[in-house]
Amino acid sequence: MPWNRPLIIGIILLLLALGWLRTNSGETDQVRRSQLMMGTIVEIVASGRDTGQLDAAVDDAFAEMARLDRLLSRHYQDSDVSRLSQSSKGSKVAPETAEVIALGLDVARRSKGAFDLTLGRLKILWGIDQENPVIPTPAAIAEALEGTGVQALSLEGLNLIKRSPQLMVDLGGIAKGYIVDQAVMVLKKHGITSGAVNAGGDMYLLGQHPEHPWRIGIQHPREQGGILATVKVRDMAVVTSGDYERFFEQDGQRYHHIFDPGTGSPARDCQSVTVITDSVALGDALATALFVLGPEKGLALLAEYPGSEGLLVAADGTLHPSPGWANYAGSP
Amino acid sequence: MKTPWQLMTGGDWLVVLTLLGISVAGIAWLAAAPKGTRVVVTSGDQTCFVAGLDQFHSVDLDGPLGKTHLVIDATGAHVTSSPCPRKVCISMGPAKHSGDLLACVPNRIMVRIESPANEDVPYDLLSR
Repeated sequence: MPWNRPLIIGIILLLLALGWLRTNSGETDQVRRSQLMMGTIVEIVASGRDTGQLDAAVDDAFAEMARLDRLLSRHYQDSDVSRLSQSSKGSKVAPETAEVIALGLDVARRSKGAFDLTLGRLKILWGIDQENPVIPTPAAIAEALEGTGVQALSLEGLNLIKRSPQLMVDLGGIAKGYIVDQAVMVLKKHGITSGAVNAGGDMYLLGQHPEHPWRIGIQHPREQGGILATVKVRDMAVVTSGDYERFFEQDGQRYHHIFDPGTGSPARDCQSVTVITDSVALGDALATALFVLGPEKGLALLAEYPGSEGLLVAADGTLHPSPGWANYAGSP
Repeated sequence: MKTPWQLMTGGDWLVVLTLLGISVAGIAWLAAAPKGTRVVVTSGDQTCFVAGLDQFHSVDLDGPLGKTHLVIDATGAHVTSSPCPRKVCISMGPAKHSGDLLACVPNRIMVRIESPANEDVPYDLLSR
């Protein structure tokens, strides 16, 4: 059978060229990894053209998160937070701890105590995280609130001073966000310009998704698996706090993990709060403060933070967006 | 003067038709392949269970505290019972979209929904 060699060679060369184009087309790779840490799922996504660089960045980001968790969690005996709680007057802390506490104290002051770093004893008393939580007596709540509040802690350089010996610091409302922010810093140091760090729904979106702006679904507070809204963001933090995350019910009443420092009981004015701002730590603290303050006072506080937007779902289910929320809104 | 088609020999046609056949077969194979949305479960650092999201499954997943029960049905993948104290994994509800995650942190069980990159999903990440 006669063969037309030039044609065959042409086809082979064409196939080789297509293969070469396929492998050298500059397509974006994505590394996506998850770990259980800080009591939740942490997911890091990084996109780029060098898989080795992406892997190294994600490894280092997870390592930094683990290091900071050991420093800031009350679940480790040797953490800064545990040492603070054990000391009678306060102690010297790591620069990272001081940075978190400085931000927390600022939000505490500006929210007039709605955000509070000193509720460690109250949270242990309620035991929302335990298998069989019970509703404490009013007397026990009053005792747990003694010596707490905005004035109970002060920071001088790296020295944290406690007003009351039994005061227990709890950074649960801000540390996770700070740790996410630091992981993002690690990604940036590795030259990553597109990625995300997501710790149980508190997240930072770096750059944009390879194909479009990041689209973030916001959990509906009362429809399991339902989406309340989606937002489109880049280089922003998105944080949601809700009464559906950790709770128990008794006599038809829901008891959840976001406490009103004024009453010592779960805050009652919101079902959920979502904040979009420039750092996850700030978003974390603001989401808690807004949840406690409720829609009217909460939106007033949010207005003091330029560039920050929020969506509050009130206790009756009505939606209260901040004026600029629509700039991020995707679809209902 | 002969046209290019007239220059084609029998061997040329054999090569062209073979390549064409391979292409058609490849397209048909891809079209017949499963949709690709998978439920991937890890326990500790090990992948312990993988299944299609479009197939019913009811499975016990071993963790350090005991068995976490996972069901995959029309609503998605969801935890129905767990030995953990707070049962947060149950209250998280179903995971059904690409990138959705569920976890039982105390029992070290993590569930992830994975899909082909071109799947049309309503969001990239979920804030909850």
